[in-house]
Amino acid sequence: MVCYAYRKNGADRILHDINLKIRPDEYLLVCGASGSGKSTLCRTFNGLIPHFFGGSLQGDIRIDGIPTTEQSVGGLITRLGMVFQNPEAQLFNRSVEQEIAFGLESIGLERGEIKKRIAEAAAAAGIEGLLLQNPHELSGGQQQLAAIAAVLALRPQTIILDEPYANLDPVNVRRVRTALKKIHQNGIGIIVSEHRLALTVADAERMVVLHQGRIVLDGPPETILRQNIESYGLELPLAVTVGRQLGLATLPLNIDALIPLLPEKTAADFAPALSPAFEQSALAAVLKIDRISFNIDGKSVLRDISFTVNAGECLALVGANGAGKTTLLKHLNGLIRPARGCVTVMNRSTQRLKVSQLARYVGVAFQNPNSQFFKLTVWDEIVVGAQALKCYDESWIRELVQLFGLEPLLMRAPYRLSEGEKKRVAFAAALAARPVILALDEPTAGQDLFFRRSLGKLLVQLQQRGQAVLLITQDLSFAEQYARRWLLLADGEIVADGSPGEVMRNQAAMERAHLEPTDRFRLFGLQRDPNGNRRSERF
Amino acid sequence: MGNLLDPRTKLIMAIFYTILVVASKKLSWLLPEWGALIAFNLVVGKGRDYISWLRFSLPMALFFGGVTWWSAGLESGLRAALTLIILISVFFVFFQTTAPEDLGNSLVKIGLPYPVAFVFSTSLQFVPVIGRKAKTVIDAQRSRGIPLEPGWSALRHYPAFLGPLLIQALQLAEELAAAMEARGFGRPGRTFYKDYHLGKADWSAIVLSLLLLIACLVRRCIWN
Repeated sequence: MVCYAYRKNGADRILHDINLKIRPDEYLLVCGASGSGKSTLCRTFNGLIPHFFGGSLQGDIRIDGIPTTEQSVGGLITRLGMVFQNPEAQLFNRSVEQEIAFGLESIGLERGEIKKRIAEAAAAAGIEGLLLQNPHELSGGQQQLAAIAAVLALRPQTIILDEPYANLDPVNVRRVRTALKKIHQNGIGIIVSEHRLALTVADAERMVVLHQGRIVLDGPPETILRQNIESYGLELPLAVTVGRQLGLATLPLNIDALIPLLPEKTAADFAPALSPAFEQSALAAVLKIDRISFNIDGKSVLRDISFTVNAGECLALVGANGAGKTTLLKHLNGLIRPARGCVTVMNRSTQRLKVSQLARYVGVAFQNPNSQFFKLTVWDEIVVGAQALKCYDESWIRELVQLFGLEPLLMRAPYRLSEGEKKRVAFAAALAARPVILALDEPTAGQDLFFRRSLGKLLVQLQQRGQAVLLITQDLSFAEQYARRWLLLADGEIVADGSPGEVMRNQAAMERAHLEPTDRFRLFGLQRDPNGNRRSERF
Repeated sequence: MGNLLDPRTKLIMAIFYTILVVASKKLSWLLPEWGALIAFNLVVGKGRDYISWLRFSLPMALFFGGVTWWSAGLESGLRAALTLIILISVFFVFFQTTAPEDLGNSLVKIGLPYPVAFVFSTSLQFVPVIGRKAKTVIDAQRSRGIPLEPGWSALRHYPAFLGPLLIQALQLAEELAAAMEARGFGRPGRTFYKDYHLGKADWSAIVLSLLLLIACLVRRCIWN
């Protein structure tokens, strides 16, 4: 029975009464909503708790029969390897080769053995070609693979990965998943902490569901997924939802497994509802991008981009990592000026307007809210921008606070909030100056079902008020649900523009963008015929 | 180029060059010393990087030169500015050809405690990471109307810049420390994958540089 609190006095307990026995060669999925204690639980496995994080630990955690309190973290690294969520912080060497060598040097291996193990681990992770590169210059997926190789080289019995897919696009998710499956087939145990079940559940042999620091469910995915896990903030994979509704004897864990089992005529009936369609034609254009291009160090980052955003429209700019989404976003509010072309906001060219002037028209919430918090209370944090812009309007701020459900948090320190709450504060702050367009950069990254649902509701409410919203995202299933129109960005160009269905139907463009159609689209290929009825189209 | 010589050899050569530059009392000596470094950068194809490095350090050199000019005359001012530029250039060449990690690890071999070497090389590795974070903070604040553009008004808003940056740097430091711990940092009996030893080429380079340094200094004494 393990209990744990980060505070020495045992206050604010994170883990309660944990009872768990894990085989060294198991593929275990630890899941739960944000703040359920997933990362904390993982940290207890390899002794980081209590050795590194301190706090108050009750109960007994044993690795091969020996309590972790009697072994150092360094002493456990040949049994349990840990891959952390943030690749930036865990890759601290100048080359991937040196990164892999670091742990091997720590355990005092000879040069010849280190060389052999580097080659072995790099091959297992599929990164042989990257050994001489600086880890900080790799893509997100390559960084994860480098971090995996670095622990794999120590030949642990089990590898623990804390949200390994958090910042990856679909192609990189697939690469990391494939590597993990291969590693598991070679007899090494895998423990993945993740809340997006669709990415992981098909690979795992066992699932542990955490809720408010307690284990509420534990068993094979097939059994657990038949329970009501949505109340724990976990989104069932679409294949499972449909499989359950059809009463299938064996639950399909992904779309590929479901498709052969699906009766043709029932497909469309299981499509979850999309947000209400929105008529945009009658509304005025608030933002016009006209043939803009941009280069960095002679390399073209954006080419010939044109589009318009209307009031009350929710438009999604979708693309994989590195497609140029954030660079394009920075053009909207003047953080970057286009080398060619023109950006017009409310019929005014942005070329000569300062960023602070543009902030009155374009509100931007970047991916990481921690980049902006510096006030002591949530209220101050929301109003500081509007005050600097001299357009502070208390009644509007009160309205925003209500809309975003922030009343109970107003006097709290922004840094002490949960990640989802921080995001809501950042969105409210972006709207404080009443901009005509709100741009949200990867708003759902790392967020659980509760947050996604509440954000979805907010987006609908904002649109009803005539607010134009631009979602910059690689979360296609969210974008499909809440944006009526997509712009698909690949290598700095818009390669498709249309409804989510039209864009995903354009296979060449999707391939070029390194994106995969959503499960929903693959299953239903949802399209409305001229009479407004759904037409099922299998892919 | 980077792997021809041991990092310690390159460090010794950089120290010799620094002594030579500091001991140069005439502009006519400093100019060829700078010229040699420019030529080196062009030969190894680092001309473009060098120019941006210079652009970055020029204001500092001008300020330093200006103060010296004001207190000790024009020639001293020029000499001071040029000396600083050359010293900065020596640093540039040294770090272009030597990875901080290699330098640190090779110094461990001659007695530098490993944690010191590690902190030195890792902090340099994280300079660009912090730089990127600083840029993100500035972008986020400017986007909501807090003027962090260069200028006096930015000073008034410095907590908006320093607050988030500091907190993120502390978070990064904690994550880094946890990651190091989980990879066995501080375990006794550490070995080193890369071998550092001073070979024939190193000794030849050290002796040759020393002879050149002595020759230059002696010759200048005779001229004086």
